[in-house]
Amino acid sequence: MAHRLRVDWPACQARGLCHEVLPEVVDLDDWGYPIVTREIDAALLSDARAAVRACPRNALRIVD
Amino acid sequence: MTAASPVPVPDEIRVLPGPALLAGIDEGPSLAAHRARHGTAPAVTAARLLALTADARLRGRGGAAFPFSTKLAAASRGRRPVVVVNLSEGEPASSKDSALALTRPHLVLDGAVAAAGALGARDVHVVLPGDRPHAAERMAHAIAERDDRVRFRQHRADARFVSGQARAVVELLAGRSNLPVVAWAPEAVAGLHGRPTLLSNAETWAHVGLLVLDGEAAYTARGRVDEPGTTLLTVTAPGQVPHVHEVEYGARLRDVLPSSATGGPLLVGGFHGSWATWSTVASARVSVPGMAALGMPLGAGVVLAPGPGTCPLALTSQVVDHLAGQSSGRCGPCLNGLPALAATVRAALTGSGGERGAVAEIERLSRLVERRGACAHPDGTARLVRSLLRALPGEVAAHGAGGCDARTAEAA
Amino acid sequence: MTDGPLLWYLNRGTGIVLLVLLTATTVLGVLALGGRPGRGLPRFVSQSLHRNLSLLSVLALVAHVVTAVADTFVDIRWWQALVPVGATYEPLYLGLGTLALDLVVVIALTSLLRTRLPHRAWYAVHLLAWVAWVLSVVHSVGIGTDLEAVPGAGPGWAVVPAAVCVVAVVAAAVYRLARLPVDRRARLGSPS
Repeated sequence: MAHRLRVDWPACQARGLCHEVLPEVVDLDDWGYPIVTREIDAALLSDARAAVRACPRNALRIVD
Repeated sequence: MTAASPVPVPDEIRVLPGPALLAGIDEGPSLAAHRARHGTAPAVTAARLLALTADARLRGRGGAAFPFSTKLAAASRGRRPVVVVNLSEGEPASSKDSALALTRPHLVLDGAVAAAGALGARDVHVVLPGDRPHAAERMAHAIAERDDRVRFRQHRADARFVSGQARAVVELLAGRSNLPVVAWAPEAVAGLHGRPTLLSNAETWAHVGLLVLDGEAAYTARGRVDEPGTTLLTVTAPGQVPHVHEVEYGARLRDVLPSSATGGPLLVGGFHGSWATWSTVASARVSVPGMAALGMPLGAGVVLAPGPGTCPLALTSQVVDHLAGQSSGRCGPCLNGLPALAATVRAALTGSGGERGAVAEIERLSRLVERRGACAHPDGTARLVRSLLRALPGEVAAHGAGGCDARTAEAA
Repeated sequence: MTDGPLLWYLNRGTGIVLLVLLTATTVLGVLALGGRPGRGLPRFVSQSLHRNLSLLSVLALVAHVVTAVADTFVDIRWWQALVPVGATYEPLYLGLGTLALDLVVVIALTSLLRTRLPHRAWYAVHLLAWVAWVLSVVHSVGIGTDLEAVPGAGPGWAVVPAAVCVVAVVAAAVYRLARLPVDRRARLGSPS
């Protein structure tokens, strides 16, 4: 079952760790903010959880 | 630093009598006049209110046109629900909610009170506009006149464009800044303090009030079978006092437009709305799905007729400059993207960068800012700019060549 | 075994190692935040380093405490490793060390649960790391055998690593304070 990565936009400060950890799902825009490019399938789930843990601002959540 | 709105919040508006919401406005806004007209409001159960609003196909009037009965059903499923009347009217070109506050406040309040009773909610929060003192004062006066079992709590929204956004309102009610935050669940499910929050636009509540007071038959006798009832429109033209009209769904849009609007493009839906050519408008009927299909969604019922000699690209540039400054500043893509979009529109206006470059950059930035924020402010701004490209493609081309379609048309 | 000096040497050794580890953790904590992504080390690398060093610090801290308590040469009880008052051996400096430990425990626990806590609460506790570091330096200077002045030969050898640690953290603190207005302005967006 596919999950989505959602960004808590007011918390996000473009630190960029999510892109470093999960480039398959997260690109960065002109200003360093995350662009979620696709859903998270089972293969990427553990990396996605790592991205959530890596965010220094707790600005990521995995939702169904 | 922040650009002023090209359409200022009006000091004065004209409210025209209408068939339902604006019926009997000559009798004055007092509670006595309201009761003389409608009688006392009966108490309704949640089931009855759900049936009433579902059968009437009542949609929200705040701009999103969300089915009211769906919200009501969601709010009725939780504990300790809260009812919120959103009268903040953050869109400067809209005056319909203020019109209701000035002429028919008790219709709005009866609707909210009925829903509160149906849900078992003890509090009705009323969010008053920060920049329309007459309307705020009138509504506060109306609340003071009443004697319901619910507790009315009044709040004052900030004078910003995004103050009326649902989550921004919930934040205000929670004692924090009146600015949007990300909604992890709809507020009807979990809003103020995690409680089910039935938050609707003032006009939506007025429709609920009408349904409860006058019944379904009277309500659905107006409008169309698949879109019953009426809706409020604010028609603004430069140099004119904004007019608030009540029209039945299915009525011709051009009937409420001033003669100065004929032939020219219109901005429908306010600052987050869409440009439409006269040929589209001339044959259009007032309808939520109908106008959406024509590429000019009704939104909060604002129609701006810039008139001959006003360049739509110049006006769009002013609006986008203003909207860029109205960003709450909390979300990176909006905070950065809207000023970039504004700069691109300004470049298109002055013709620098060439037509194709400007169009491509506008498309790129629009895609970058959409759905990447706590609220739909960037989405609405992008929608406005893209609608200009879609409806009036000649404008950007003309400016790219150093001219202006509007001025050419006026000179001709 | 507990009668000989082995535990005492281990306690002193783990103490110095602990100070170095805490220093490295603190410095990395400062370097890992702020700025634009892509400059120097990837952010998640410096973040991982910071987290791993902090874990090592906790291990060194446990070793340091265990050796102190197990050593019978001085009377330090188990509970004195957690409660900052009531010790008989060097009560002030031991107490400060214990206070530093208490802070480290709270910081470590909140960091393990970071994603479940509100960010502001976690951050407020995390800032106490500076306090914990200062307390550990004072503890070291006050109670540390290898920092004591050797008669006729000046301060103990450990003053060299200790001084390096102090310079490193002071530099990190100055850098952090200098970045505060920059980081705030950077939000207003310029392309990276």
